[in-house]
Amino acid sequence: MTDALGRVRAAFAEAGVTGWLHAVDIDTGAQLDAGADQPVCTASVHKLCLLVTLHELADTGDLDLTEQVDCPPLGRTPGPTGLAAMRDPVRMSLRDLAYLMTAVSDNTAADLLLGRVGLDAVNRTTARLGLTRTHAVHTFGELLATLRQDAGPGGARILTDPHVLTRLRALDPARTNRSTPRDMTRLLSAVWRDEACAPEHAAAVRRLLGLQVWPHRLASGFPFDDVHVAGKTGTLPTLRNEVGVVEYPDGGRYAVAVFTRTANPAATLPAADSVIGTTARLAVEALRART
Amino acid sequence: MAQPPLSQRIQRLERELGVRLFERTSRQVRLTEAGALLLTRARELLARSEEFLATAHRIRDGETGLLRAALPPDLSGETVAALLADFDRRHDLAAPELELHELSTAQQLARFASRDLDVGLIHHPCDITGLELGPVLRRDLGVLLPPGAPAADLTEVPLASLTGHDLILFPRTDAPALYDDLLTTCARNGYTPPAVRHAQGASFVRGLVLSAGAVALTPRDTVTAPDLVWRSLAGAPLAWRHSVAWPKGRGSTAVTAFADAATHALRGTAGAAPDVPTRPLHLRPASEYWL
Repeated sequence: MTDALGRVRAAFAEAGVTGWLHAVDIDTGAQLDAGADQPVCTASVHKLCLLVTLHELADTGDLDLTEQVDCPPLGRTPGPTGLAAMRDPVRMSLRDLAYLMTAVSDNTAADLLLGRVGLDAVNRTTARLGLTRTHAVHTFGELLATLRQDAGPGGARILTDPHVLTRLRALDPARTNRSTPRDMTRLLSAVWRDEACAPEHAAAVRRLLGLQVWPHRLASGFPFDDVHVAGKTGTLPTLRNEVGVVEYPDGGRYAVAVFTRTANPAATLPAADSVIGTTARLAVEALRART
Repeated sequence: MAQPPLSQRIQRLERELGVRLFERTSRQVRLTEAGALLLTRARELLARSEEFLATAHRIRDGETGLLRAALPPDLSGETVAALLADFDRRHDLAAPELELHELSTAQQLARFASRDLDVGLIHHPCDITGLELGPVLRRDLGVLLPPGAPAADLTEVPLASLTGHDLILFPRTDAPALYDDLLTTCARNGYTPPAVRHAQGASFVRGLVLSAGAVALTPRDTVTAPDLVWRSLAGAPLAWRHSVAWPKGRGSTAVTAFADAATHALRGTAGAAPDVPTRPLHLRPASEYWL
């Protein structure tokens, strides 16, 4: 394990990132801890908490996942994917919004769901599951608004200015939606063990996480057709995260949470994305070697 | 303090000193003569101890005593000399002792984290979490060529015309993000060196340029070798971007004086100019956030 920890740290350094990782064997509880209790900004990883909350409320009968929601073109939370990028009025069910939010990290879909369940419900769910260091303080629209306010005019390129980076509230875990790697593997373990909500709803959550489209982070570390990867990413200037579960055909299943921060503020840094997969693989292999 | 523990403490002190400090009757408690004599001395002692602690804090905060400062190895002698002279002029009132070190950006960040450094001049990009920054200044890089190289005939050298030459660069561990960024920018402008050779000392670099036909990237102000050719790069695609940095919340008049002196010296002797991000930045859909 010490060797694996060293290799994880070396991989982070090689990729030019500071990284925090927690990996757990969901069935034995064996773990690898490389900064598991570091407070981190969740960014879009918090959509996982919202997804679980939504299914918990469906469980208790507080809402019906087939309930229809109107999404007018005006006032949408901005984003590069899904409804956030579309132009025309849309009407769809809560569960389809959940699909878009999870599969392509659709910010508009996420805020429509938040509008239905409320931020407090999300915090109640994470607290109920024992995630004591996980907290949401704003919606995704509000998060992006702090980014715009703190960055000022100048467009995306201004986000490479070191002075601008030091003043972004969105990059300070004390002032934005936050968690720790250990809290996130705890949440994933609960979902995979049917403890977070009823089995049929837990299965729906697992299905949606398995439909997430991005191949460049966690999934990139497991280029094996017989290994299943499900997860949720999160991204902000200098931050790249993914939390997910890796399942092997022999029944081994591992919850992994990786949060990174790059020294380079450039938006396109493939090495920083793939190191999430690289380190997750190192951790999972270390856990598998123990059994 | 509550009465019973206070009485116990007084009794213990009296036993330790072998002197009765208070006279106790059923109705009142009065200071003895010995007690009054010792009280004056005790007050003096307390005042000295507070002064001692305050001095320690001032030294820690860099207000007096020692300012632990660092400069990177790639400044010219003129810049270092100008900085030191200017710092002395700005700060002869409080006159802190300057403990100056030559340290790479990575070494400076490590010492900021371990609280062994008060202020330093760093290279961007680097991980600036927990730091405050002075203005970001840019020193354009040119290329050091062997005298016979075809590119030496040009007044401005396009990076692509360096194709075929090995590149001499500082060791990656000195500033990993900067190292990666330089190679990415070289590639973006059509120059992918067949090999990267690591060197730092001016004579070693000169030896490699003269004998191995390699090229080095360096600002004009640090060129000392008379037998090498320095040319600016067409379009100024590469630069050192510096700023003075210090741990957040630990600025002081001495830190400000050092920051001002460094900024002044870089502008005056190294032709450094304010840096404004100008390159377009296209966020891709996987960025998840949007401005």
